[in-house]
Amino acid sequence: MAPVPCAICKTSRALIIRPKNHQKLCKECFITIFEEEIHHTVTTTKLFSPGDRIAIGASGGKDSTVLASVLKTLNERYNYGLELVLLSIDEGIKGYRDDSLETVKRNAVQYDMPLKIVGYDELYGWTMDQVVEAIGKKGNCTYCGVFRRQALDRGAKMLGIRHVVTGHNADDVAETILMNLLRGDLPRLARSTSIVTGDEMSEVRRSKPLKYAYEKEIVLYAHHKKLDYFSTECLYSPEAFRGSARTLIKNLERVRPSAILDVVRSGEDMAKLVPEAVTGISHCKSQKVSLSSADGEEGAAGCGTNGRSSGGEMADMEKKLQEDEEASSREIDVTAAASNGVNGQRHDRIGSKTEPQNGAKRESGKKLTRQTLGTCKKCGYMSSQDICKACMLLEGLNKNRPKMEIEVDVEDEESSTLRRRMERLALAAG
Amino acid sequence: MNRAAYELIVVHIDLNLDAVDRKDTSALLERYKVRFPRHTYSSFGLEEALLLESIEWKALGMTEPTQNDPQKPGSERLQQLVGSLPSATSRTDVITTLLTRLLVDVAKRNGCESILFADSTTRLAEKTLTETAKGRGFSLPWQVSDGISLHGVGFNYPLRDLLKKELMTFSSLTVPPLSDLIISQGPSSQISASSKLTTIDDLMAQYFESAEENYPSIVANVVRTSSKLQPLTGDETTACGLCGLPVAEGTDGIYGWGGDQNSVSRARQNKSHGDLETQNVLCYGCLRSING
Repeated sequence: MAPVPCAICKTSRALIIRPKNHQKLCKECFITIFEEEIHHTVTTTKLFSPGDRIAIGASGGKDSTVLASVLKTLNERYNYGLELVLLSIDEGIKGYRDDSLETVKRNAVQYDMPLKIVGYDELYGWTMDQVVEAIGKKGNCTYCGVFRRQALDRGAKMLGIRHVVTGHNADDVAETILMNLLRGDLPRLARSTSIVTGDEMSEVRRSKPLKYAYEKEIVLYAHHKKLDYFSTECLYSPEAFRGSARTLIKNLERVRPSAILDVVRSGEDMAKLVPEAVTGISHCKSQKVSLSSADGEEGAAGCGTNGRSSGGEMADMEKKLQEDEEASSREIDVTAAASNGVNGQRHDRIGSKTEPQNGAKRESGKKLTRQTLGTCKKCGYMSSQDICKACMLLEGLNKNRPKMEIEVDVEDEESSTLRRRMERLALAAG
Repeated sequence: MNRAAYELIVVHIDLNLDAVDRKDTSALLERYKVRFPRHTYSSFGLEEALLLESIEWKALGMTEPTQNDPQKPGSERLQQLVGSLPSATSRTDVITTLLTRLLVDVAKRNGCESILFADSTTRLAEKTLTETAKGRGFSLPWQVSDGISLHGVGFNYPLRDLLKKELMTFSSLTVPPLSDLIISQGPSSQISASSKLTTIDDLMAQYFESAEENYPSIVANVVRTSSKLQPLTGDETTACGLCGLPVAEGTDGIYGWGGDQNSVSRARQNKSHGDLETQNVLCYGCLRSING
């Protein structure tokens, strides 16, 4: 078979089929178009201004390594005038983070960028290994996620930097959109698609320049540029709810390669359709959702998101939804008028026939107030609550009495035993 | 005096193009008539959608219905249109759109106030994610909510609170059972994402079939969530030439948004901007189905 020429330069032999659109390209043209597309994103969204100091959240994994490499290239090629710094978080996970940090240290030399490493131990007095030792496998990803989001901001502040870029790619964003639909989280659906969170007023802004870049293309880019990155997944349990969405995204991509981008487009459009009342106030789950700047929606980068997880989290949520339905049937005299008008889906129709019990409002604390950004009374870090999530978790740790249930976020992990128990419960209930 | 509050017109749109298959479906429709004799029945082939003037056929690369070669049967032209689409997902997508538009046309011609769809909770959840995956997130407020649709006729989903498995159970328990009136589809568990014939619709059906088993509340929650999305108001909109849904100014087509980072496509778009007046507006989802 005759060699196929590259679809762009028409001279070199095509060696790469672009995952995004199946275009056949030569290596050089692929690298160029990948970089140009990121440049396009950066310029059309006016992500940076000359003189900006930018911290690259660097885990040593493929996404952040590619991000660092591309930003360095573009900064030089197009005179962005940026000062780029690598910012790494040391969660303190032996056999995982210590190795990946070695990669970041090499990257710092390769890309000639300063590197700042902020450790959980110095910020919180706990390494993740110690956390896991103290609380077992139960919910350790919650700790890690909460701590990391804050640690990135704290690290940036230590460096006097107001803008952190992360390596979230199109697959991550698409996944988050499907995940938020599956768990009915409209406030997050409305927020998760924007390329920047926070604004000029925020202490630290976050952005994802790789938002439209396919994960497969990031891997190809890293491979063809022979980038030095670390590819081992975290040793501790991966995020479970995301796994289901991830598998779906991967299958969609196989059926229609554009699907990832199409989901991102849908997410951007849907964000405009989320009623304002919902973005501020929502009924069931969002009282645990803090402002995105303090509690980003994607803990994915740097975590194992390989989709091998069980549906334990879904079982937990299923149980919670059923409880909510039961509870709302008990407060039928209170809410019936409000809920009749909307397209309420109530599966517990038998439950709703039960006599209304006035005093039985088990979830009376659920009515929420609009989230406002303040600062944590303990650590002074931005928070939508009096005491920030990290401090709450820390308090539990320091009392040597883990308090997982303070804020069972839908993202939270449960131990595998608890998970199994939940699954049994859900099955029994169904 | 008959106290029926509504006059029901049962409309069947035949997606089969083959005469033999059509015989089967009309036989089934006869069984319906025997079982529910009070309603009015009508049946149309999907090719009748090709006669709709509300669709911008030029946008689909087709000639206007009136200029068509009258010798060529509609089913053949439909086959040609569908065959020209780039993937199985695109074919299903365009067929679904044509079906909806024909149904609306029939409803309007019969002076109907509303179209009742039999979508279950499971089906609506499926649709929410399918449309999202096809880049049609913008269209969800008109696709999963009860109320007046943009086509000027109501869309209602009276079975929206029931799971598919509940409908199946009901159909076999009710007396006499409805089972012989229902075309049952095989389990979607064998669907493979690597098959060229597999569509996004298939994947979602498979996903929610299993989700419904273990997580019925999550399925219901998806529908509850997508039903909360509100249509954009006050914006300058143009109707998509194919699906007819409103497309906000500057958001038509698959080019010229953040995810379109390709300078080649941008150049193409700029070129076409010159004759914007004659340019047919297609929404992102429809153009994706036509262009691949």
